Amino acid sequence: MKSPLLGEFHPPGGKPHMLGSIQRIETPMHRFSEGEEVDYAIVGVGVGAGGGVLLQRLARAGFRVIGFDAGPFWDTERDWVSDEKGAHNLYWNDLRITGGKHPLAFGANNCGKGVGGGTVHWASFTPRLHPSDFRTHSTDGVGVDWPISYSDLKPYYELMELELPVSGPSYFPWGDPHGYPYGPHPMGGVGDALIRGCTKLGIGVSAGGPVAILNGSRGDRPHCIYRGFCIQGCKVGAKASTLITHVPDAIENGAEIRPNCMVSRIHIGRDRRVTGISYFDPEGRERFQKAKAVVVAGYSIETPRLLLNSACPGFENGLANSSDCVGRYLMAQAGNVVLGRFEELVRMYKAPPAHALTEEFYETDPKRGFARGFAIQTVGPLPMAFARQMMTAKGAWGWGMRSVMMDYNHWASFGFLGEILPHAENRVQLAEEKDRLGIPIAKATFTLHDNDQKLIEYGKNKTMEVMWAAGATEVVQEVRYAHLVGAARMGSDPETSVVDQFGRTHDIANLFICDGSIMPTQGSANPGLTIMALAARTADYLIREGNEVFTSHKPNSDKPAMRRDLSPPDTRGHGMPRI
Amino acid sequence: MAQPGYYPGFSTLGQQKFWDAKTRQVVLDRVGNVPEVRFFSPQEACLLNAVCDRVLPQDDRDESHKIPIVPQIDRRLFENSHDGYQYEDMPPDREAYQLGLRAIEKIARHRYGCGFLEIGPQEQDEILRLLHDGKPSAANDIWKRVPVHRFWMLLVSDCTDAYYSHPWAWDEIGFGGPAYPRAYMRLERGEAETWEVTEKRYDWKAPENSVSGEFEPVSGQLEHLGSPGQGGTH
Repeated sequence: MKSPLLGEFHPPGGKPHMLGSIQRIETPMHRFSEGEEVDYAIVGVGVGAGGGVLLQRLARAGFRVIGFDAGPFWDTERDWVSDEKGAHNLYWNDLRITGGKHPLAFGANNCGKGVGGGTVHWASFTPRLHPSDFRTHSTDGVGVDWPISYSDLKPYYELMELELPVSGPSYFPWGDPHGYPYGPHPMGGVGDALIRGCTKLGIGVSAGGPVAILNGSRGDRPHCIYRGFCIQGCKVGAKASTLITHVPDAIENGAEIRPNCMVSRIHIGRDRRVTGISYFDPEGRERFQKAKAVVVAGYSIETPRLLLNSACPGFENGLANSSDCVGRYLMAQAGNVVLGRFEELVRMYKAPPAHALTEEFYETDPKRGFARGFAIQTVGPLPMAFARQMMTAKGAWGWGMRSVMMDYNHWASFGFLGEILPHAENRVQLAEEKDRLGIPIAKATFTLHDNDQKLIEYGKNKTMEVMWAAGATEVVQEVRYAHLVGAARMGSDPETSVVDQFGRTHDIANLFICDGSIMPTQGSANPGLTIMALAARTADYLIREGNEVFTSHKPNSDKPAMRRDLSPPDTRGHGMPRI
Repeated sequence: MAQPGYYPGFSTLGQQKFWDAKTRQVVLDRVGNVPEVRFFSPQEACLLNAVCDRVLPQDDRDESHKIPIVPQIDRRLFENSHDGYQYEDMPPDREAYQLGLRAIEKIARHRYGCGFLEIGPQEQDEILRLLHDGKPSAANDIWKRVPVHRFWMLLVSDCTDAYYSHPWAWDEIGFGGPAYPRAYMRLERGEAETWEVTEKRYDWKAPENSVSGEFEPVSGQLEHLGSPGQGGTH
């Protein structure tokens, strides 16, 4: 067929702002007038996994709230493409300096820019942390214990799994066993290889999830079409991102999104409380927004950068930094990519990159000689990413690059996802360089330690073993780090942490953090779902505290009751978990 | 010349009417509007062109189907666009390119007594292999400012980005290309969609006198080489 029967495809015409192929924002957005004081300003990158969920809940509870985002408010039909190179503008491409013995890559690797943040380009694997992740110090003598336990977060995991929602098996056997509200996705060639390899070695494997992609339509979101461009932004609207799951409801309830606004400084008043923020508007003019409270949601690099850049008399080392922990304990997960060539065709560009995984090696096994563990997951690099992997994994260039790329359709790839422990010297600081607005940029330093290196060596080899068992005739791997968390960690002790269990900074009563930077350790689970669950919990706390947040200097540490009535419409009572 | 690769007659562009309008616009623009060289000087552009011809050789493509590499690198540098980070031990990309090109020219003069443009493709390959192996035989002053393995990976990944983002390269490797809103339906066993082409393998060989057809690990301490800025995969 040379053309579609009804003629070539055109975008839906007219003005409405499209979020996915069907959902459109009908309600005009509320705009707060200049000089008006709002209850909450959510700032940083702003409206990503944590910021999006928090914004939605605060708006629904009746607070006057603005979400500042340094990037655009995407219209997915107008702005996004089904193209690897064309997706470059989804990522945080502003300059950062990266160093240490094992420097991290940023941008497409782990940082989004624009409403939805990283959830716009995540592969959307959404496993929970295991109960053991919350007490690694007590049980394994490494890392640090969280100020909360798995049971504190479990109801929020369940709630987020409904709100996104998450597709996956009806029985997920690892950690705290549970089922998923939407059924598993069909397999692609890479998932088949992972299942084949794991089965041959007697390793349990979860097929078709957990992944925040719709396998059936729901409300105004259609089901997945298996085109494989998940990390280039889901034009379909099947893959969950807060852009399409939470932001529309936030706007419906009176929240304002202020896109293309880069926040440069948080201001402190005479009573050592936050009074508002400075930001650069889309035209580059510096403006002030008055707010009764500020929530920083900029993720592990931009959150510490903003806190450090907001240093002022009384807070010479940056805001909320009396512990000297702002920027410290930065973590990435080990994310080596293992690639296997098969005699038969795979065509790994089809199906979502995220569709099968195993957590069989997640927990500490003393026999392995290191603490903590790892997961093995499917990945599906498109040609540009695959060529770079062939460059590092095989040293390919010239005719060698051309010939191995001609075999692209014969390769499958697994991602090893390993827990790297928090270390104080892995950190974010300010560099000497400034960005185009004159704001000092971030510099990250990252170095692996002994346990990390042992874990990576073992996990990498195990992942390669699975690839061989799947029937590959050649197996290679590249070093890589995935995801970021930490750099403003939570804890009970203000001497060794930045925020408390609700995301409230120990030092400033009306300054909060709501993103992955507050995670004290990271497990071997992709962090997105945990960030959202923590955000929903922070929201419950803020809503229960009400106006106390804006006046009190004495933080209340009682846990809030969970509010089930704040979910976006059409997400309650649908897709009950089986167990 | 026939289209390279094992998928004879496969044309992703032939499917463009099934793509969404924005994707069609972006991809067609990439094919049809090759940007002018604005960042590099004419001499630098000429040298870089010769380098890219070996880093990503296209001798098996006819002139009208060669995929432009240098204009894409030039545009990136002109617009000062990058992947969002810079290694602590590296200068900014613009400076790295200008220094790296000077160093390549120096190595050619040191080794062959004439410029990179005046030596044959095999000798050019030999010089590039020195960079790949991390053993440049001249211009040590420059390599102190630009670690050779980082420059190599910057150069190779810019070349592969330009080449494999082009629909003609997708045809060559059998990648289905844009798939919204139509979708893929045959997900398993590497099966082709009705509009894709089944693989027809033959014994493909790199030209005999080339040195880039073999696979050797890139030099340097391997653990330092991680994360050269690939698109995130999980």
